[in-house]
Amino acid sequence: MKGILQSIGHVLSLLSPMTWLGGLARLWVRWFGLGPFSFVLINAVRNQRRATLTVLSVASSCGLLVTLLTLQRELTVPPESEGASLRIIARNKVSLAQPLPAKQLATVEKIPGVVAVSPFTYFGGNYKGEEMTSFAQFAVDPARFRGLLVEGRISDGSYDEFIKDRNSCFVGADTMKRYGLKIGDKMKFTGTFYPVDLDLKIAAVFQGTVDDRGVFFHHKLLDELNGDPGTVGTWYLRVASAEVANDVIARVNQAFENSTAEVRAESERAFQMGFISMLGNVKVLTLSISGVVVFTLMLVTVSTMSMAIRERFRELAILKALGFRRRDLFSFILAESFGLAALGALVGIGGAWALWTFLDLQKMTNGFLLYFEVTPRIMASGAIVAAVLGILAAIGPSLAVARMSVVDGLKTLD
Amino acid sequence: MAEPIVVIRDLSKVYRQGDINVIALNGVSLGISAGEFVVLMGPSGSGKSTLLHIIAGIDSATSGEVRVQGINVANLNESQLADWRNQNVGFVFQSFNLIPVLTAHENVELPLLLTALGRKERRQQVEIALGLVGLADRGHHRPDQMSGGQQQRVAIARALVTDPALIVADEPTGNLDARSAQDVLGILQSLSRDAGKTVIMVTHDPKAAVYGTRELHLEKGELARDSVPS
Repeated sequence: MKGILQSIGHVLSLLSPMTWLGGLARLWVRWFGLGPFSFVLINAVRNQRRATLTVLSVASSCGLLVTLLTLQRELTVPPESEGASLRIIARNKVSLAQPLPAKQLATVEKIPGVVAVSPFTYFGGNYKGEEMTSFAQFAVDPARFRGLLVEGRISDGSYDEFIKDRNSCFVGADTMKRYGLKIGDKMKFTGTFYPVDLDLKIAAVFQGTVDDRGVFFHHKLLDELNGDPGTVGTWYLRVASAEVANDVIARVNQAFENSTAEVRAESERAFQMGFISMLGNVKVLTLSISGVVVFTLMLVTVSTMSMAIRERFRELAILKALGFRRRDLFSFILAESFGLAALGALVGIGGAWALWTFLDLQKMTNGFLLYFEVTPRIMASGAIVAAVLGILAAIGPSLAVARMSVVDGLKTLD
Repeated sequence: MAEPIVVIRDLSKVYRQGDINVIALNGVSLGISAGEFVVLMGPSGSGKSTLLHIIAGIDSATSGEVRVQGINVANLNESQLADWRNQNVGFVFQSFNLIPVLTAHENVELPLLLTALGRKERRQQVEIALGLVGLADRGHHRPDQMSGGQQQRVAIARALVTDPALIVADEPTGNLDARSAQDVLGILQSLSRDAGKTVIMVTHDPKAAVYGTRELHLEKGELARDSVPS
């Protein structure tokens, strides 16, 4: 039994990256002779179990940190689209839930700088009996809405068919793919905001926008189903250029000042950020958790390095006696700490990147997470945190070694 | 009589232990000539190891002066002292103090990493040093693959690889069997007699003392006797 366990342990040790690093260090010495690099490498992996656990601790913390930062970005930074700077959304100044009079259209479209405008009303239905559908449905004026489509393309079907057929819809390619839909198929929605249901026929598919999930249908249909109330949810505008956007926003707001339905116009991005703020202070929450992760990471790294160095006080005292200076020993300790932290960061950040890049999170989260992109900036943040911690972890042991006299160090028990 | 390589004048060392001052050395004065094999003897707590450490520049005196090859060791700063130790002093300790993850060759090579020697020259120096202690064929073995005597011989090779003028040994045979102890003492004696190295050795063992050319006996921090071993 003992032999079997030893064999298993031997096989596992062969699988450990630390065994390979130890072997690499030995090869390095054989090829290039003993030097500071190989000396540090040999020392870093001398206790393979601890080195492995340290690297895994740093890796898991870095992976978690990167994941949290990515989640924060996903929830707080809406995707940028090239047309966003050209689009404006005007809503009721009282609240988003308050509708606007449909008759405002005539005024809005005459405002200088406006090149297209369409009603844009959130339907908020659930598809095919789902409890919570993750893609939005909007009622628009198809002919006018065409002028608002700056990016993306029609990948299937015909936009003209969408304009012609009042019961048709214009669907994002991601939704088509997710539900296995094709042109001509029916999409049924149960209203949640409105006490009506929709039964739409897919006429065209769009692709290449920052969010290829939405469903757009005729505002006339919604009006008809609701008894023609003469209202819209919001106005969606496109301006001639980004330079005139602020001017148009001011003019739209001004146009309805002191009316029964004052509006609040804002850029598409500002409108999205307003929505995000409804999620609560996500940023504070994720940053708090990230802070705890970083703090834990620091404790793990510092305690491991302290243990590793304390164990070797005697050896470090010998090195001092042989003529190594404080700065040499500091360099050895720093390189070892930094190296283990860097390896952990590489494994953790690389692992998080691979995981979130190759997993279909959109599908797994039922469309809640759209991109979950681990950006170079986030990876760099994780790497910087690991590097700083690697350096910080070396300071304590280095100071202890610097203060230690050779004689006291030699008295230290192995 | 050759010119003294080590000159000690009125050397004192006082340790503070809580509220008590412990006098380890009290006004020791002596000179050690180049090529001498000096054996420091005395009961525990007599100050012999402290004297050895101060001469070797790994401890400092409370008062008095130590000059080694004309250099007042106390005047050197930390970096200068480190360089000075690397170039002038070879250490041999009771418990060998080899780096366990390095081979014998690498252990001996360690002090040479601080010199300007290239890899090839370092290898040659290490092979010579290991050859001098009779371990030319054990260079690739790690300390845990060697006997105590062999480990101590590796430590001696490490001590002499930089060709220092002074070799200090703190009870080098304390952890060895009689046969290994004889081997180690023989090597130290040969270094003094044949290679002209100045060897200062602390020991409790009167049998070891006979290998030296001079015996200094310390008691209560003072030099009690300066004699030739018989």
